[in-house]
Amino acid sequence: MSRLLIAFLVVFFFSSCKKDKIGPQCISCEENPINTTSNTDVLIVNEGNFGWGNASLSVYNKSSNQVSQNVYEQQNNGLPLGDVAQSIYQLNGKGYVVLNNSSKIEVINMSNFSSTATIIGFNSPRFFLPINNAKAYVTDLYSNSIQIVNLTTNTIYGNIAVSGWTEELLIYNDTVYVCDVTNNQLLIINPQNDQLVGTIPIGENPNSLVIDKNNKIWILCDGGMSSSNPQLIQYNPANRTIEQTFIFPIISQSPNHLKINANGGVLYFLNDGVYQFNITDSNLPNSPIISSNSNLFYGLGIDPANNDIYVADAIDYVQNGIVFRYNSSGGLIHQFNAGLIPNGFLFVQ
Amino acid sequence: MKVIYTIFLFIIAPTAFSQPLIDTINFKPVEIIDNKIPASFKISSFDSVSLQQSANLSDLITTNSSVFIKSYGLGSLSSISFRGTGASHTKVLWNGVALNSPMNGQIDFSLYPTLFFDNAELHYGASGLIDGDGALGGSVVLNNQEQFNKQTKITLNQIVGSFGTYTTGFKLKTGNALWFYETQLYGKKAQNNYSYTNITLKNNPTENLENAVVNQYGIQQAIYRKFKNSTLGTRIWYFNSDRELPSNLTRSELTNENQQDESYRALIEWKGLATKFQYKISSAFVKELLIYENNAASMYSKNNSYIFDNNINTSIYFDYKFKFTNNLNINYEIANTDSYAQEYNRLNASWLLGINKIFNSLSIDIFNRTMMVGETFKNLAPGVGSQLKLFKKEDFFVKANAGINYHYPTFNDLYWNPGGNENLKPEYAKMLEGGLCYAKSINQFTLNTEITTFYSYVKDWIIWLPTFGNYWSPTNLKEVENKGIEFALNLSTHLKKLNFMGKINYAYTESTNMNAASDFDNSVNKQLIYVPYHKLSSTLQLKYKSLQLIYTYNYTGELFITTDNNWYLPAIFISDISISNQFIVQPTWSISGSFSVNNIINQEYQSVANRPMPGRNYLLSVFINFTKP
Repeated sequence: MSRLLIAFLVVFFFSSCKKDKIGPQCISCEENPINTTSNTDVLIVNEGNFGWGNASLSVYNKSSNQVSQNVYEQQNNGLPLGDVAQSIYQLNGKGYVVLNNSSKIEVINMSNFSSTATIIGFNSPRFFLPINNAKAYVTDLYSNSIQIVNLTTNTIYGNIAVSGWTEELLIYNDTVYVCDVTNNQLLIINPQNDQLVGTIPIGENPNSLVIDKNNKIWILCDGGMSSSNPQLIQYNPANRTIEQTFIFPIISQSPNHLKINANGGVLYFLNDGVYQFNITDSNLPNSPIISSNSNLFYGLGIDPANNDIYVADAIDYVQNGIVFRYNSSGGLIHQFNAGLIPNGFLFVQ
Repeated sequence: MKVIYTIFLFIIAPTAFSQPLIDTINFKPVEIIDNKIPASFKISSFDSVSLQQSANLSDLITTNSSVFIKSYGLGSLSSISFRGTGASHTKVLWNGVALNSPMNGQIDFSLYPTLFFDNAELHYGASGLIDGDGALGGSVVLNNQEQFNKQTKITLNQIVGSFGTYTTGFKLKTGNALWFYETQLYGKKAQNNYSYTNITLKNNPTENLENAVVNQYGIQQAIYRKFKNSTLGTRIWYFNSDRELPSNLTRSELTNENQQDESYRALIEWKGLATKFQYKISSAFVKELLIYENNAASMYSKNNSYIFDNNINTSIYFDYKFKFTNNLNINYEIANTDSYAQEYNRLNASWLLGINKIFNSLSIDIFNRTMMVGETFKNLAPGVGSQLKLFKKEDFFVKANAGINYHYPTFNDLYWNPGGNENLKPEYAKMLEGGLCYAKSINQFTLNTEITTFYSYVKDWIIWLPTFGNYWSPTNLKEVENKGIEFALNLSTHLKKLNFMGKINYAYTESTNMNAASDFDNSVNKQLIYVPYHKLSSTLQLKYKSLQLIYTYNYTGELFITTDNNWYLPAIFISDISISNQFIVQPTWSISGSFSVNNIINQEYQSVANRPMPGRNYLLSVFINFTKP
């Protein structure tokens, strides 16, 4: 009996001598491999779980409806992208994938998803905004600063001090506007000298902003954790005044992901369902154009080519999410699986 | 295999520094008066060698049982999954006092050095109901034992190990026929700067774990006085842990997180045995302080929780075949943290009534627990069990039991700001179990084996899900079915002076989610995350005179890390070897020492995604034992 036991243990011991894989492994992440992009592709950013290294990029072809998962890992010898993929930006044939827990920006070649550079030195980067071909700003949680990146060398070379958490940002007329979540204001920065030149008090927790065809900036404030009513604000950068404030009636609501269509006339945002707001409307919409049907919408994108609406559902946040594609009037066109926690879309141009 | 051979040469040859341990804990079977579990319910106890070989409760359970412990790294947070249930579904009791945090309901098993208790048991499934409410998977029972004799025993232990690990332990037990006095001191520091392959970076560089220093110290003091038919005593346990929290692998910048835990546990107990009547009355105070700091994010969070726990446990023996049990527990919990809008408290009461009756070869046990937590009552949480001895002359038993238990929402579930949900219901578990056990002793050969199959159904399992907005909130959403088989085998024999002992513990656990969170939820009928299908631990122990060799092998099957079972962590197989010897210097004192090689095949593994575990490492341990009869 004892000999049997020893034999048993020895077998176990040897069976364990093979070289094994280390860390998280994916069972089906390599369906429909592709290595080039076309202008009918939509890139889906899947943020992945905090610390798990499973952020990914999925590619959806809107003509063929084919979906390819994990394209970054496939094109980079199985190297994980990192986590949490917060946002993506396309500039001059390159994609800038901002990964907050991994505290880096992965620069990819948009034609084949191969990594061309990694920008490091952030704390928890959130959003990327190119100022010109050589320079970009990156909002960076916990660092009390906006980082300035040299896009030629892919290094951080300076920063603009801010106090607390800054989120989305945009550039208009050689001026940068930034959502300052901590201090409930809009920051105004001169990108020539990287100086903060002004602050405009707005609603609580501004999270996203867009500019419309009339050159008015729209800012969405979620109102914090039921501490004030959310607001949609129209700001005129020409005379630095707030021209309109729309107050959401329910304090517990938390609207986010403000987007605009291609012609700059219609706003979209998530507030449980997907809401549509014409920039000339005088009231907030009462009902969504797409109801959530108890799904949890987590990401929103508007296709500039045809105003199709893409909505991401992260389900329980611990499994592959799902993406719904609707036409501009809210009719479902298609739905497909993405990676873990899909949160954003990049329409390849 | 070459490695092992080298180690053999290295260690056995210079026996000069070897040694061994063994028996410094002076393990004896203990009669635990108040929470003795009837034989129809399943328990297993850890032997003294396992206790001594393990640094803490996390190592003890991982290496010596079929229960899975999920560890974030050496010295880091370790939480339990017992029969497929969640970390808060296992109760940890210290001399009858449930230590689980009122805030998250959990226990960090890395904060319980084995020095601080004399024996430890696992109570599976419905046997946890006898210990208290809330145990949906089972309970872990830690006990100390007092002795009333003139013996004085002093043990000093020094361990030096890889990754800058230094552990010092001291134990003094003394007394006389009326008094017992005990002091235990413990200190540990470790750098934990072990190396690993960073598979998340290009070219997979080898890196050393940073920001992983652990410092721990603690003291336990006990004084007991024996009276004619009873014992009155008090026990105080202070423990302090200060550790850095390493970043996960995918982080490229250090976060400089650290966590301090400080525990105060005080117990006063009066227990006794009169004719046909046994009682234990105890009162305990537990304070836990947890401070979390994240310098990179300027976060600082201070959490205080308090438990006042009172027990009156009585048993009446009508005759030795018929026992009536009446156990009452009343406890009061308080928690105070920045994460709640205010300080919260809760009064809980739990009352167990039970009868145990033995008819010849059949025993029957019936219990019911009534509980009140805050303002909710659950009147009916029964447990029934029966054991039948199949043959008159063989120790061959068939047993079966069933039970229902509830786990109340924790303070975090109820009051976390934001997200806490005060409308949560208690989690509910229905547990069933059947098994066979067999014990045989022929000449020098003894065998103990048990095979158990279990089923449990857990509903209203609380999970935190994102809400629309920025925060997460708990709901009673999850419905889970756990089923599996557990197998245990213990063998011992000897050939002349060579003693041989072998142990195997194996569990197969299928733990599946039955409820969809939404229409597109792909987690239904999938294995729960971080619940391995397979967990095996085995030990081979050879002893020649005082020279002892211990080999352990552990296997943990693949762990799914996403609820759709698309991502997993590879299986873990760890072999450890230890050799020890003891030298009697004088009749009153001896020196023993051991040398251990852990993870001898140097497997790189993770039990939590992107949290590397240590590769091959070494420990040298020296014990000085003094015994005055």
